[in-house]
Amino acid sequence: MSAPEPADRSAATRAGTPPPGEQRAGSPVVEVRVAAAAAQLPVLRAVTGDLAMRADFDVDAIDDLRLAVDEACSTLVGLAAESATLVCRFLAEEHSITLSAAVTSDDSRKPREDTFSWRVLSALADSVSTSVEPNADADGGHVVRIELTKGRTHE
Amino acid sequence: MKQADSDHAPHSRHQRYDELAPLFAELAGVPKDDPRYEQLRDRLVTEHLPVAEHIARRFSHRGESQEDLTQVATLGLINAVDRFDPERGVDFLSYAVPTIMGEVRRHFRDTGWAVRMPRRLQELHLSVSSAIARLSQELGRAPTPSELAEHLGISREDVHRGLEAGNAYRSASLDELLTATDEIPLGDAIGSDDAELAEVENRETIRPLLAELDERERRILVMRFFRSMTQTQIAEQIGISQMHVSRLLSRTLAWLRQRLEQEETPAESSKD
Repeated sequence: MSAPEPADRSAATRAGTPPPGEQRAGSPVVEVRVAAAAAQLPVLRAVTGDLAMRADFDVDAIDDLRLAVDEACSTLVGLAAESATLVCRFLAEEHSITLSAAVTSDDSRKPREDTFSWRVLSALADSVSTSVEPNADADGGHVVRIELTKGRTHE
Repeated sequence: MKQADSDHAPHSRHQRYDELAPLFAELAGVPKDDPRYEQLRDRLVTEHLPVAEHIARRFSHRGESQEDLTQVATLGLINAVDRFDPERGVDFLSYAVPTIMGEVRRHFRDTGWAVRMPRRLQELHLSVSSAIARLSQELGRAPTPSELAEHLGISREDVHRGLEAGNAYRSASLDELLTATDEIPLGDAIGSDDAELAEVENRETIRPLLAELDERERRILVMRFFRSMTQTQIAEQIGISQMHVSRLLSRTLAWLRQRLEQEETPAESSKD
Protein backbone atom coordinates (compact mmCIF):
# COMPACT_ATOMS: atom_id res chain seq x y z
CA MET A 1 0.00 0.00 0.00
CA SER A 2 1.31 3.42 -0.75
CA ALA A 3 0.37 7.05 -0.53
CA PRO A 4 -2.49 7.51 -3.03
CA GLU A 5 -5.50 7.16 -0.75
CA PRO A 6 -4.14 7.13 2.73
CA ALA A 7 -6.97 9.13 4.19
CA ASP A 8 -9.20 6.15 3.58
CA ARG A 9 -9.02 4.29 6.83
CA SER A 10 -10.05 0.95 5.50
CA ALA A 11 -7.23 1.14 3.00
CA ALA A 12 -4.92 2.10 5.79
CA THR A 13 -6.00 -0.63 8.13
CA ARG A 14 -3.29 -3.15 8.56
CA ALA A 15 -4.01 -6.50 6.98
CA GLY A 16 -0.52 -7.84 7.55
CA THR A 17 1.10 -9.34 10.57
CA PRO A 18 1.22 -7.20 13.65
CA PRO A 19 3.50 -8.29 16.46
CA PRO A 20 1.79 -10.68 18.85
CA GLY A 21 -0.52 -9.04 21.31
CA GLU A 22 -1.12 -5.89 19.33
CA GLN A 23 -4.10 -6.93 17.27
CA ARG A 24 -6.84 -7.30 19.77
CA ALA A 25 -10.53 -7.01 19.17
CA GLY A 26 -11.68 -3.46 19.74
CA SER A 27 -8.15 -2.11 19.60
CA PRO A 28 -7.31 -2.15 15.95
CA VAL A 29 -3.90 -1.37 14.65
CA VAL A 30 -3.89 1.13 11.83
CA GLU A 31 -0.78 1.32 9.78
CA VAL A 32 -0.03 4.04 7.27
CA ARG A 33 2.97 4.00 4.99
CA VAL A 34 3.96 7.14 3.16
CA ALA A 35 7.06 8.49 1.50
CA ALA A 36 9.27 10.03 4.17
CA ALA A 37 8.64 13.56 2.95
CA ALA A 38 7.23 16.65 4.59
CA ALA A 39 4.52 16.80 1.94
CA GLN A 40 3.01 13.60 3.36
CA LEU A 41 2.58 14.91 6.87
CA PRO A 42 -0.94 16.26 6.33
CA VAL A 43 -2.04 12.70 5.58
CA LEU A 44 -0.73 11.52 8.93
CA ARG A 45 -2.27 14.49 10.68
CA ALA A 46 -5.64 13.65 9.18
CA VAL A 47 -5.44 9.99 10.15
CA THR A 48 -4.33 10.90 13.66
CA GLY A 49 -7.14 13.40 14.14
CA ASP A 50 -9.66 10.93 12.85
CA LEU A 51 -8.51 8.14 15.16
CA ALA A 52 -8.47 10.42 18.19
CA MET A 53 -11.94 11.80 17.42
CA ARG A 54 -13.32 8.31 17.00
CA ALA A 55 -11.71 7.30 20.27
CA ASP A 56 -13.66 10.22 21.76
CA PHE A 57 -10.60 11.91 23.21
CA ASP A 58 -11.32 15.39 24.46
CA VAL A 59 -10.60 18.16 21.99
CA ASP A 60 -7.36 19.19 23.71
CA ALA A 61 -6.04 15.65 23.59
CA ILE A 62 -7.07 15.30 19.94
CA ASP A 63 -5.07 18.38 19.01
CA ASP A 64 -2.13 17.44 21.20
CA LEU A 65 -1.91 14.05 19.59
CA ARG A 66 -2.15 15.56 16.14
CA LEU A 67 0.64 18.01 16.88
CA ALA A 68 2.75 15.31 18.52
CA VAL A 69 2.47 13.00 15.54
CA ASP A 70 3.36 15.91 13.31
CA GLU A 71 6.42 16.73 15.37
CA ALA A 72 7.60 13.13 15.67
CA CYS A 73 7.15 12.41 11.98
CA SER A 74 8.87 15.64 10.95
CA THR A 75 11.83 14.61 13.05
CA LEU A 76 11.93 11.22 11.35
CA VAL A 77 11.56 12.75 7.90
CA GLY A 78 14.63 14.81 8.72
CA LEU A 79 16.62 11.67 9.52
CA ALA A 80 15.30 9.48 6.74
CA ALA A 81 17.45 7.98 4.04
CA GLU A 82 16.76 8.99 0.46
CA SER A 83 13.41 7.66 -0.82
CA ALA A 84 12.72 5.98 2.50
CA THR A 85 9.23 5.03 3.61
CA LEU A 86 7.78 6.37 6.82
CA VAL A 87 5.77 3.68 8.55
CA CYS A 88 3.31 4.82 11.17
CA ARG A 89 1.52 2.28 13.25
CA PHE A 90 -1.28 3.47 15.46
CA LEU A 91 -2.62 1.37 18.25
CA ALA A 92 -5.91 2.61 19.63
CA GLU A 93 -6.60 1.15 23.03
CA GLU A 94 -9.36 1.95 25.43
CA HIS A 95 -7.51 4.62 27.34
CA SER A 96 -4.72 5.60 25.01
CA ILE A 97 -3.45 5.84 21.49
CA THR A 98 0.10 4.82 20.75
CA LEU A 99 2.03 5.74 17.66
CA SER A 100 5.09 3.87 16.61
CA ALA A 101 6.72 5.61 13.67
CA ALA A 102 9.85 4.43 11.90
CA VAL A 103 12.06 5.27 8.96
CA THR A 104 15.26 3.85 7.60
CA SER A 105 18.22 6.11 8.02
CA ASP A 106 21.76 6.09 6.71
CA ASP A 107 23.30 6.57 10.09
CA SER A 108 22.66 5.30 13.55
CA ARG A 109 21.88 8.66 15.11
CA LYS A 110 18.97 8.71 17.48
CA PRO A 111 16.74 11.78 17.43
CA ARG A 112 18.29 14.20 19.88
CA GLU A 113 16.49 14.57 23.16
CA ASP A 114 17.86 17.96 24.12
CA THR A 115 16.17 19.99 21.40
CA PHE A 116 13.23 22.31 21.36
CA SER A 117 11.40 19.87 19.15
CA TRP A 118 11.84 17.14 21.72
CA ARG A 119 10.56 19.42 24.42
CA VAL A 120 7.47 20.11 22.34
CA LEU A 121 7.00 16.42 21.74
CA SER A 122 7.30 15.47 25.39
CA ALA A 123 4.89 18.22 26.39
CA LEU A 124 2.29 16.97 23.92
CA ALA A 125 2.52 13.23 24.55
CA ASP A 126 2.31 11.38 27.84
CA SER A 127 5.38 9.34 27.03
CA VAL A 128 7.91 9.38 24.23
CA SER A 129 10.82 7.11 23.47
CA THR A 130 13.22 6.58 20.62
CA SER A 131 15.28 3.67 19.42
CA VAL A 132 17.70 2.82 16.66
CA GLU A 133 18.45 -0.64 15.45
CA PRO A 134 20.33 -2.04 12.48
CA ASN A 135 18.04 -2.59 9.54
CA ALA A 136 17.54 -6.33 9.28
CA ASP A 137 16.30 -6.60 5.72
CA ALA A 138 18.42 -4.11 3.83
CA ASP A 139 22.03 -3.60 3.06
CA GLY A 140 23.14 -1.63 6.05
CA GLY A 141 21.15 1.31 7.25
CA HIS A 142 19.29 1.67 10.47
CA VAL A 143 15.71 1.84 11.57
CA VAL A 144 15.02 4.92 13.63
CA ARG A 145 11.83 4.78 15.63
CA ILE A 146 9.85 7.16 17.76
CA GLU A 147 7.12 5.81 19.93
CA LEU A 148 4.65 8.00 21.74
CA THR A 149 1.53 7.48 23.78
CA LYS A 150 -1.29 9.84 24.58
CA GLY A 151 -3.94 8.89 27.08
CA ARG A 152 -7.38 10.35 27.26
CA THR A 153 -7.23 13.21 29.68
CA HIS A 154 -10.31 12.20 31.57
CA GLU A 155 -12.06 8.89 32.08
CA MET B 1 -14.73 40.36 -8.74
CA LYS B 2 -15.16 44.05 -9.30
CA GLN B 3 -12.22 45.54 -11.06
CA ALA B 4 -11.11 48.42 -8.94
CA ASP B 5 -11.71 51.49 -11.03
CA SER B 6 -8.94 51.27 -13.61
CA ASP B 7 -5.88 49.51 -12.37
CA HIS B 8 -3.11 51.92 -12.96
CA ALA B 9 -2.77 54.83 -10.62
CA PRO B 10 -3.69 58.20 -12.05
CA HIS B 11 -0.91 60.17 -13.55
CA SER B 12 -0.77 62.72 -10.79
CA ARG B 13 -0.22 60.01 -8.23
CA HIS B 14 2.62 58.58 -10.21
CA GLN B 15 4.21 61.97 -10.16
CA ARG B 16 3.82 62.15 -6.44
CA TYR B 17 5.65 58.87 -6.02
CA ASP B 18 8.32 60.00 -8.43
CA GLU B 19 9.07 62.86 -6.12
CA LEU B 20 9.95 60.34 -3.44
CA ALA B 21 12.59 58.64 -5.58
CA PRO B 22 15.52 60.74 -4.31
CA LEU B 23 14.68 59.65 -0.78
CA PHE B 24 15.58 56.07 -1.66
CA ALA B 25 19.00 57.15 -2.80
CA GLU B 26 19.37 59.04 0.44
CA LEU B 27 18.17 56.06 2.49
CA ALA B 28 20.74 53.84 0.85
CA GLY B 29 23.46 56.21 1.96
CA VAL B 30 22.46 56.52 5.63
CA PRO B 31 23.71 53.94 8.16
CA LYS B 32 20.91 51.95 9.79
CA ASP B 33 21.66 53.16 13.29
CA ASP B 34 21.40 56.79 12.23
CA PRO B 35 18.10 58.29 13.44
CA ARG B 36 17.71 59.76 9.96
CA TYR B 37 17.42 56.22 8.57
CA GLU B 38 14.35 55.51 10.64
CA GLN B 39 12.79 58.83 9.60
CA LEU B 40 13.36 58.26 5.93
CA ARG B 41 12.13 54.71 6.10
CA ASP B 42 8.98 55.76 7.95
CA ARG B 43 8.27 58.48 5.47
CA LEU B 44 8.76 56.20 2.48
CA VAL B 45 6.48 53.56 3.95
CA THR B 46 3.82 56.08 4.93
CA GLU B 47 3.82 57.87 1.59
CA HIS B 48 3.47 54.61 -0.30
CA LEU B 49 0.72 53.22 1.93
CA PRO B 50 -1.97 53.93 -0.71
CA VAL B 51 -0.19 51.44 -2.97
CA ALA B 52 -0.46 48.73 -0.32
CA GLU B 53 -4.10 49.59 0.31
CA HIS B 54 -4.84 49.51 -3.37
CA ILE B 55 -3.37 46.04 -3.72
CA ALA B 56 -5.14 44.81 -0.60
CA ARG B 57 -8.45 45.91 -2.13
CA ARG B 58 -7.77 43.83 -5.19
CA PHE B 59 -7.70 40.75 -2.99
CA SER B 60 -10.89 41.49 -1.12
CA HIS B 61 -13.97 39.29 -1.52
CA ARG B 62 -11.92 36.23 -0.77
CA GLY B 63 -13.33 35.78 2.66
CA GLU B 64 -10.74 37.70 4.55
CA SER B 65 -11.09 40.97 6.35
CA GLN B 66 -9.87 44.12 4.66
CA GLU B 67 -7.89 45.08 7.75
CA ASP B 68 -5.91 41.84 7.68
CA LEU B 69 -5.24 42.16 3.99
CA THR B 70 -4.08 45.73 4.35
CA GLN B 71 -1.79 44.67 7.15
CA VAL B 72 -0.21 41.96 5.06
CA ALA B 73 0.15 44.29 2.10
CA THR B 74 1.76 46.88 4.34
CA LEU B 75 4.22 44.27 5.51
CA GLY B 76 5.04 43.64 1.87
CA LEU B 77 5.51 47.35 1.37
CA ILE B 78 7.91 47.59 4.30
CA ASN B 79 9.91 44.68 2.91
CA ALA B 80 9.99 46.39 -0.45
CA VAL B 81 11.25 49.64 1.07
CA ASP B 82 13.92 47.74 2.97
CA ARG B 83 15.09 45.70 0.03
CA PHE B 84 14.77 48.17 -2.80
CA ASP B 85 18.05 49.01 -4.42
CA PRO B 86 17.86 52.36 -6.24
CA GLU B 87 21.13 51.56 -8.04
CA ARG B 88 19.40 48.96 -10.15
CA GLY B 89 17.68 51.46 -12.35
CA VAL B 90 14.08 50.29 -11.88
CA ASP B 91 11.68 52.62 -10.19
CA PHE B 92 10.33 51.74 -6.79
CA LEU B 93 6.77 50.97 -7.87
CA SER B 94 7.88 48.41 -10.44
CA TYR B 95 9.71 46.68 -7.65
CA ALA B 96 7.19 47.22 -4.87
CA VAL B 97 3.98 46.13 -6.61
CA PRO B 98 5.11 42.55 -7.33
CA THR B 99 6.71 42.35 -3.89
CA ILE B 100 3.49 43.39 -2.17
CA MET B 101 1.35 41.14 -4.35
CA GLY B 102 3.73 38.31 -3.58
CA GLU B 103 3.35 38.89 0.13
CA VAL B 104 -0.43 38.86 -0.08
CA ARG B 105 -0.47 35.76 -2.27
CA ARG B 106 1.95 33.96 -0.01
CA HIS B 107 -0.31 34.81 2.88
CA PHE B 108 -3.33 33.33 1.15
CA ARG B 109 -1.34 30.27 0.28
CA ASP B 110 0.18 29.77 3.73
CA THR B 111 -3.10 30.01 5.49
CA GLY B 112 -5.34 28.51 2.87
CA TRP B 113 -7.45 31.61 2.88
CA ALA B 114 -8.19 31.27 -0.76
CA VAL B 115 -10.44 28.32 -0.01
CA ARG B 116 -13.85 29.26 1.15
CA MET B 117 -15.58 27.04 3.58
CA PRO B 118 -19.00 25.84 2.45
CA ARG B 119 -21.80 27.42 4.40
CA ARG B 120 -22.99 24.25 6.10
CA LEU B 121 -19.46 23.60 7.34
CA GLN B 122 -19.15 27.16 8.52
CA GLU B 123 -22.22 26.68 10.65
CA LEU B 124 -20.98 23.38 12.05
CA HIS B 125 -17.60 24.85 12.73
CA LEU B 126 -19.09 27.83 14.51
CA SER B 127 -21.48 25.87 16.65
CA VAL B 128 -18.87 23.27 17.59
CA SER B 129 -16.43 26.02 18.40
CA SER B 130 -18.79 27.86 20.68
CA ALA B 131 -19.99 24.61 22.25
CA ILE B 132 -16.36 23.84 23.15
CA ALA B 133 -16.17 27.15 24.97
CA ARG B 134 -19.44 26.62 26.81
CA LEU B 135 -18.82 23.00 27.77
CA SER B 136 -15.26 23.73 28.87
CA GLN B 137 -16.68 26.19 31.35
CA GLU B 138 -19.24 23.73 32.60
CA LEU B 139 -16.96 20.73 32.81
CA GLY B 140 -13.76 22.45 33.84
CA ARG B 141 -11.96 20.61 31.04
CA ALA B 142 -12.11 20.23 27.30
CA PRO B 143 -15.16 18.34 26.06
CA THR B 144 -15.09 15.21 23.92
CA PRO B 145 -16.78 14.84 20.53
CA SER B 146 -19.56 12.76 22.07
CA GLU B 147 -20.24 15.42 24.68
CA LEU B 148 -20.32 18.04 21.95
CA ALA B 149 -22.71 15.94 19.89
CA GLU B 150 -25.04 15.52 22.80
CA HIS B 151 -24.89 19.17 23.76
CA LEU B 152 -25.61 20.33 20.22
CA GLY B 153 -28.05 17.58 19.35
CA ILE B 154 -26.12 16.66 16.21
CA SER B 155 -24.39 13.47 15.10
CA ARG B 156 -20.83 12.55 16.00
CA GLU B 157 -19.99 12.68 12.31
CA ASP B 158 -21.13 16.27 12.17
CA VAL B 159 -19.05 17.12 15.21
CA HIS B 160 -16.05 15.54 13.50
CA ARG B 161 -16.73 17.57 10.40
CA GLY B 162 -17.02 20.74 12.42
CA LEU B 163 -13.76 20.02 14.22
CA GLU B 164 -11.94 19.13 11.05
CA ALA B 165 -13.22 22.16 9.22
CA GLY B 166 -10.90 24.32 11.24
CA ASN B 167 -7.92 22.35 10.00
CA ALA B 168 -8.95 22.07 6.40
CA TYR B 169 -10.00 25.63 5.93
CA ARG B 170 -8.70 28.86 7.13
CA SER B 171 -11.41 30.39 9.22
CA ALA B 172 -9.87 33.03 11.40
CA SER B 173 -12.66 35.41 10.62
CA LEU B 174 -15.15 32.94 12.01
CA ASP B 175 -13.08 32.44 15.09
CA GLU B 176 -12.74 36.14 15.53
CA LEU B 177 -16.49 36.34 15.98
CA LEU B 178 -16.10 34.41 19.20
CA THR B 179 -13.18 36.46 20.29
CA ALA B 180 -13.19 38.81 23.19
CA THR B 181 -10.52 41.45 23.00
CA ASP B 182 -7.06 40.17 23.57
CA GLU B 183 -3.92 42.12 24.35
CA ILE B 184 -3.10 41.08 27.82
CA PRO B 185 0.55 42.06 28.07
CA LEU B 186 3.00 39.25 27.65
CA GLY B 187 4.53 40.23 30.96
CA ASP B 188 6.43 37.58 32.84
CA ALA B 189 5.75 34.91 30.27
CA ILE B 190 8.63 35.91 28.11
CA GLY B 191 11.08 36.79 30.86
CA SER B 192 11.21 33.34 32.34
CA ASP B 193 11.15 31.22 29.25
CA ASP B 194 14.84 31.91 29.06
CA ALA B 195 15.36 29.84 32.15
CA GLU B 196 13.14 27.18 30.66
CA LEU B 197 15.16 27.16 27.50
CA ALA B 198 18.32 26.55 29.50
CA GLU B 199 18.13 22.83 29.02
CA VAL B 200 17.37 23.09 25.34
CA GLU B 201 20.50 22.47 23.37
CA ASN B 202 19.56 24.52 20.32
CA ARG B 203 18.32 27.46 22.37
CA GLU B 204 20.72 29.84 20.68
CA THR B 205 18.94 29.13 17.42
CA ILE B 206 15.50 29.08 18.99
CA ARG B 207 15.69 32.36 20.84
CA PRO B 208 15.86 34.72 17.85
CA LEU B 209 13.13 32.70 16.14
CA LEU B 210 10.85 33.09 19.14
CA ALA B 211 11.55 36.80 19.01
CA GLU B 212 10.34 36.86 15.42
CA LEU B 213 6.94 35.45 16.32
CA ASP B 214 4.17 37.87 16.88
CA GLU B 215 3.34 38.41 20.48
CA ARG B 216 0.22 36.33 20.60
CA GLU B 217 1.80 33.34 18.88
CA ARG B 218 4.76 33.51 21.22
CA ARG B 219 2.54 33.71 24.25
CA ILE B 220 0.56 30.69 23.15
CA LEU B 221 3.75 28.74 22.58
CA VAL B 222 5.16 29.67 25.97
CA MET B 223 1.89 28.88 27.74
CA ARG B 224 1.59 25.50 26.10
CA PHE B 225 5.16 24.28 26.27
CA PHE B 226 6.68 26.14 29.19
CA ARG B 227 3.63 26.59 31.37
CA SER B 228 1.99 23.27 30.60
CA MET B 229 -1.35 24.95 30.04
CA THR B 230 -3.91 23.11 27.94
CA GLN B 231 -5.25 24.62 24.74
CA THR B 232 -8.58 25.18 26.44
CA GLN B 233 -6.96 27.08 29.29
CA ILE B 234 -4.95 29.15 26.84
CA ALA B 235 -8.05 29.90 24.82
CA GLU B 236 -9.82 31.14 27.90
CA GLN B 237 -6.93 33.27 29.05
CA ILE B 238 -6.28 34.88 25.69
CA GLY B 239 -9.89 35.17 24.72
CA ILE B 240 -9.92 33.24 21.46
CA SER B 241 -11.50 29.89 20.66
CA GLN B 242 -9.77 26.61 21.44
CA MET B 243 -9.81 25.78 17.75
CA HIS B 244 -8.08 29.01 16.98
CA VAL B 245 -5.39 28.27 19.56
CA SER B 246 -4.98 24.87 17.99
CA ARG B 247 -4.48 26.32 14.55
CA LEU B 248 -2.09 29.02 15.69
CA LEU B 249 0.00 26.48 17.61
CA SER B 250 0.17 24.14 14.70
CA ARG B 251 1.16 26.93 12.35
CA THR B 252 3.80 28.27 14.72
CA LEU B 253 5.33 24.84 15.24
CA ALA B 254 5.46 24.17 11.53
CA TRP B 255 7.11 27.51 10.95
CA LEU B 256 9.66 26.94 13.70
CA ARG B 257 10.48 23.51 12.34
CA GLN B 258 11.05 24.87 8.89
CA ARG B 259 13.26 27.67 10.14
CA LEU B 260 15.24 25.41 12.42
CA GLU B 261 15.88 23.05 9.58
CA GLN B 262 17.20 25.91 7.48
CA GLU B 263 19.44 27.17 10.25
CA GLU B 264 20.74 23.87 11.51
CA THR B 265 21.57 22.13 8.27
CA PRO B 266 22.86 24.84 5.99
CA ALA B 267 25.61 22.65 4.59
CA GLU B 268 23.60 19.53 3.98
CA SER B 269 21.75 19.54 0.70
CA SER B 270 18.03 19.81 1.30
CA LYS B 271 15.96 16.69 0.92
CA ASP B 272 13.09 18.10 -1.01
